Amino acid sequence: MIYDVRHKTTFVYEEVVSVSHHVLHLAPRSLPRQRCLETSIVIDPVPSIGSTGEDYFGNPVRYLTVQEPHERLVVEAYARVEVDAPPELGDLAASPTWESIRESAKTVANGGLTAFEFCFDSPYVAVGDDVYDYAAVSLRPGRPILDAVMDLTGRICREFEYRGGVSDVSTPVRDVLAMRKGVCQDFAHLQIACLRSFGLPARYVSGYLLTHPPEGKEKLIGADASHAWISVWSGADGWVDFDPTNNVIPKTEHITVGWGRDYGDVSPINGFILGGGAHQVVVAVDVTQLMPAPG
Amino acid sequence: MSAPTPVASEYDSQDAKLLATYKRVPTVYDELTTSSGAVRPRWRRVLEAFAGNANKGAQDKAQRLLRENGVTFVAQGERDRSRPWRLDLFPLLIDPNEWATIERGVIQRARLLNDLLVDLYGPQRVLKDKVLPPGLVFGNPQFLRPCTNLAIRDDLHLHFVAFDLARGADGRWWVLSDRTQAPSGAGYALENRVVSSQCLPELYAEHNVRRLASFFRAFSERFLSLSSQDQPVAVFLSPGPTKQNYFEHAYLARYLGFSVVEGSDLTVRDDRVYLKTVVGLKPVDLIMRRISAEMCDPLELRTDSMIGVPGLLQAARAGKVTIGNALGSGIAESDGFLSFLPALSKFFLDEDLAMPSVATWWCGQQRERDYVLANLDQLIVRRISTARNLFGHNQGSLSRPGMTPAEREHLKREIERSGHDFVGQESPSLSTAPVSSSTGTLEAAPLVLRVYVGATKQGYQVMPGGLTRIAAGSDPRAAWLEAGDVSKDTWVLSDQPVEQFSLLAQRQDSSRLHRGGRDLPSRAADSLFWLGRYTERAEGAVRLFRSLVIRLGGEMGSTRSVVSPERVVSMLIVQKHLSARRGRRAMQEGREAVERELWTILFDPECKDGLATVLGNVRRNAEAVRERLSFDTFRILRDLTEVIYSWQLSPGHETDDALRLLNRLIQYLAAFNGMVMENMTRGYGWRFLDMGRRLERLRAMIQLIQQLAVRGDPQDDGALELLLELADSTMTYRARYHAAPQLPAVLDLLLSDDSNPRSAVFQIVTLSEHMAHLPSHDGDGLMTPDQRIMTRLSSELRLADAVALGATVSRFDTRVELDRLVRRIDRGVHQLSDHIAEMFFSHSSPRRVAGARRTES
Repeated sequence: MIYDVRHKTTFVYEEVVSVSHHVLHLAPRSLPRQRCLETSIVIDPVPSIGSTGEDYFGNPVRYLTVQEPHERLVVEAYARVEVDAPPELGDLAASPTWESIRESAKTVANGGLTAFEFCFDSPYVAVGDDVYDYAAVSLRPGRPILDAVMDLTGRICREFEYRGGVSDVSTPVRDVLAMRKGVCQDFAHLQIACLRSFGLPARYVSGYLLTHPPEGKEKLIGADASHAWISVWSGADGWVDFDPTNNVIPKTEHITVGWGRDYGDVSPINGFILGGGAHQVVVAVDVTQLMPAPG
Repeated sequence: MSAPTPVASEYDSQDAKLLATYKRVPTVYDELTTSSGAVRPRWRRVLEAFAGNANKGAQDKAQRLLRENGVTFVAQGERDRSRPWRLDLFPLLIDPNEWATIERGVIQRARLLNDLLVDLYGPQRVLKDKVLPPGLVFGNPQFLRPCTNLAIRDDLHLHFVAFDLARGADGRWWVLSDRTQAPSGAGYALENRVVSSQCLPELYAEHNVRRLASFFRAFSERFLSLSSQDQPVAVFLSPGPTKQNYFEHAYLARYLGFSVVEGSDLTVRDDRVYLKTVVGLKPVDLIMRRISAEMCDPLELRTDSMIGVPGLLQAARAGKVTIGNALGSGIAESDGFLSFLPALSKFFLDEDLAMPSVATWWCGQQRERDYVLANLDQLIVRRISTARNLFGHNQGSLSRPGMTPAEREHLKREIERSGHDFVGQESPSLSTAPVSSSTGTLEAAPLVLRVYVGATKQGYQVMPGGLTRIAAGSDPRAAWLEAGDVSKDTWVLSDQPVEQFSLLAQRQDSSRLHRGGRDLPSRAADSLFWLGRYTERAEGAVRLFRSLVIRLGGEMGSTRSVVSPERVVSMLIVQKHLSARRGRRAMQEGREAVERELWTILFDPECKDGLATVLGNVRRNAEAVRERLSFDTFRILRDLTEVIYSWQLSPGHETDDALRLLNRLIQYLAAFNGMVMENMTRGYGWRFLDMGRRLERLRAMIQLIQQLAVRGDPQDDGALELLLELADSTMTYRARYHAAPQLPAVLDLLLSDDSNPRSAVFQIVTLSEHMAHLPSHDGDGLMTPDQRIMTRLSSELRLADAVALGATVSRFDTRVELDRLVRRIDRGVHQLSDHIAEMFFSHSSPRRVAGARRTES
C-alpha cells in the first residue's frame, strides 16, 4: 500500500515571538515493512538553525530555531510511504506465555536488551495498583502473550469511551482508568502501563491511520489526525503492534512515524517560544491512499 | 548498644574538666581517643587550647561572624525558611597519611564514575557485557536518553564530585554515597574555613593546615580551559534565590569569579548559549550548574521545567557549551551502583576498588530483594529515584522499626512491584568526634565527612578539607540520614610546609579569572533597580509612620496647626502602606484604635500591611543580587529588614519605642545609601540601583504634593510643614526663607529647584544622566522614547510657575494647574518605568507550545 501523508501545523501568536525552538518527530522512520519513498518538511518562516538526526530510539528527529520575529509558524510535513502487511502471526494462542516473555526480556538475546528499556515507568506512564488490577484480568497466569494482549486491547476498546476534551497529555493513566474515557494517546498509555505493571516491555507508537469516510460521502481534506497505538515485545516474534482504540492488530492502514517509552519521547512537535502572548494551534492531517496505476 | 565508657584522664585538670562529659561508645571509632581512652597525639594541642582560656568566646564569635556574613541554608521541605548556618569550632583533624588514603580512594572513584558515564551515554558496554543489570540503568529516571552522544570535551562528564564518608569501627573510611549531579556544600566548607581561621588564628597557624584556595584555582583553570574561546565566559546556573542554598551559589560563584544566573537569563541562538545582559546578548561558553539535569532543557528533557534553558541540549550537542557536570551525570550517584562498583572498577580500570561502600542491596535482583524484604527493620530502605539534598530531614529510610503492619505491607508491595527503584543499606557505623556542649564541655557526636573532588589539569584532585557534619541525635542510624544541623571545619594536616596565601587574597586573585564577568545580566539589573525603588519606598513609609507617631503623641506643640492623624492615615492608605479596610476601621474607633493598628503594622511581621511587606521586598531583591553587593552593604540591608522582628515594645512606652525603631530604620537606610554612594563602583549595576531610587523618589514626591498641596489650604492646615518634613526639606526651607512655609516657595523647592537633591527635577536630571551612560539600543541618533519623556518632564518642571500653580483654584477647591501638572508627571513616571523595563529587563521566561494532540476520532 502506498500513502501520501500531509501533516500541517500552524501556530498563530497574539504577539510577536522573538525566538522559537522546536523539536519535530514528523518524518516516518524506515522499517523492514515500511519504506519512505519521499519525505519533506517545509517550515515558514525558514529557520535560521535546523538540523536533523536520530534520537535515542532511532527515530528521525529535526531540531529548528526560528530567530526572526514571527507571528505565525507553519510546519508542513509530507511523506510518501509504502507499507507492507506484517507477517502472519498465526494462532495468537500458540505464542509463548507472558511469564516467559517477562523473563527473556531480561536477557540480551533476541533484542531483549533493547526491549528491556520499555519495562519501566516513564514520565507519562506511571504504574499503580489500580492499573495492575485492571491488567490482571487479561494477564492470567500461563496465558500466551499475544492472546492476553489481544484480550486487553479488546477490553480497552469496549470498556472505554473515545472522547476528546476530557483529558490532556498530562492526564495520569490512573485518571483515564477511573474516567473510562479518553483519546488514542490515553488508551495507548493505559495499555502500556498495564503491560509494564506485569514486567512486560511495551512501547508507544506514534503514527497515522487511514480513515474511511462514511458510506457515500467524500473524504474531507484535513480531517484525519495523528494516531497512537502500542507495541509489545514477544520474544522470537519481535515487536507486535496492537491498536486499543480500534481493537485491531495494525496491518497496512497504520503508518508508523516513530516510537518511544511514551508520548513524550515522540510528540510530533514540541516547542518553546519567547514572547508570543496567547497562541492558537491548528493541525490538519491528510492520509490518502494512492490508487494503483490503471491496467 | 554497649555502655559508654568515660575517658580515662591522665591529663591536667582543665583537660579533665573539658572531657568530663566526653563518653565514647566502645563499639565505634572515636576520632579523639583510642579504645583505651588515651587522647590521640594529633589532638593534644587543640584540646589544650580549648581547655585554656585563650579561645573563650571564640564560639560566640564564630556564630556572630556567620550571622553577619549571612550564611544560611534551606533544609529540604522548608522552602521558605532559611536557617542560620552552625559551625562547631572544634575542628576535625586528619593526619597526612590518612588523608592520602582518602585521596586515593575518592580519586579512583571519580575516575570510575566518569568512565561509567562515558560508557552509559555511549556504547553501553557494561550492559552488553552484563557487568551491570540493565534495570539499574533503564529504570533510573536520571538516565536521560536525549543526552546520549553529546559532544563532551575530553570525555569529562564529572567536573566536580562529592563523596560522603564515614569511618567504621575498624578505623577505615567508607563511602556512604556518591554525589555526581550537582554536589553542594563546598561553599559552606570554604566559609567554615574563613570563620574558623579567624576565630582560632593561633591554633590554625600552628597546625600546618592545608589550604583550600589552590584547589579551587586548579579546578577553575581546568574548567575554563575546556572552552575553545580565548576569553571564555563562565556562569553559575542556579535555580534562584528562593531555592535551596542560594547562599552557597552566590558565594561559590563569587569565589570562582562566575556570574550567578538563572535559566531565564540564558537563551540559545545559533546553537550557542547567550546571557541576556543590559548591553545585549553575551556568549556563554561554560556553565556550572546547580540545577538537576532533567530540569535544564524543557525542550528535550522535562517539558514542565520552569527553570531551564530551551535549546541547551542542542548547544551541548553542537559542542558550543561545556556544562559541569555534564547533563545526565546524575545517574552515577544512584545508590544502586554501590554494590557493583568493585566489578566496575575491574572492568573499567582493571584495579581493585580502593575505598569500600556501605553495604547495599539493590532490589532489582531477586536474591537481594528477598534479603531486604526479610530485613526491613534493620536496613535503611530508600527509593533511588528520590532526590536527596545535603540538608534536611524527610530523606531518611522508608522503613523503620515501629512500622505498622499496613505500612510494612505497603512498602513490601512497592518493593516487589518496582524493585529496581529500591535499595536496602546497612546502617553504617559512624565515628564520633568532640562537639562543644552548651555548658562548654565536650561531647562525642557521630559525624559524616563530605569530601570534594575536582577535575584539574593534573587529573582529579581532592579539596584538602571537607564539610564535616555532626548529627544532633545520638541514634547512629538516624545520624547519617539527618546529619547537617551542625558542621565543623576539617583540618587536613600536612607534614610539609603549606602554601601561605590566604583565602581572602585568593578571592582577589581569582578576579583575574573573572573574564567578561562584569556584564550585568538583565535580571540582576532588574533586581538592583527594584532594590533601589523598594529602599526608597521603605524610607517614604518610615517617614510617614514617624509623622503619624509624632502626631499621635501630641508632641507638635510649637506649630500653629497640625495635620490630623486621620489625614496621615488616609495618606497611608493611598500610598498602600495600610489597607483601606484596616484604616477605616481604626479611624472609626478613635485614636486609640489608630495607635493599636499602628503598632500592629509596625511590629507584626505577619501583618500583610505595612513595613514587613515593603522590607520583605527589599530583602528579596537584595538576596537576588547578593553576590553583587559588598558584605557590609548586605549586612546593613539584613539589619534593616530584620530589626522589626526583634524589636520589643514595652507597655506604656509604645510611642517612644516606635519612634526609636523608626529612627533606627532611617539610620539603616541612610547607611545603605551611603554605602551605595561611597563604596559601589560606578558600573551599570550602580546606575540601575540609583535609577530605581530616583524614579521612586520622584513618584513619591509627586504623590505627596498631590495629597498635601492640591486641595484645601495647606498654608494654614499644617500640610506644608508635613510636606517638607516628609520630603526631608524642612531645614533647607528654613535656611532659605526664615519664615512659615508658603505654598509657591515650597512648590518651587520641591518641584523645580535643581539644587535640592529631594526635588522632582533633581531626580529627572539624575535619571537622564544615568540613561545617557547606559547602552542605547538604537544607534540612529534619534531621541528614544525615554529621552523624550525625560526631556518633557524636565522642561515642564523647570518652566513651572510656582506662583500660578499655587494660585489657580477651581470652584471645587482644587488647584487645577498643579493637579494637572502632577498628573502629567505621574503618567510620565509610569511610562518611563515601563520603558526601562522593556529596554533592559526583558528576561521573560520561555513558554511551551506543542502540536495539538489528537482530540477527535
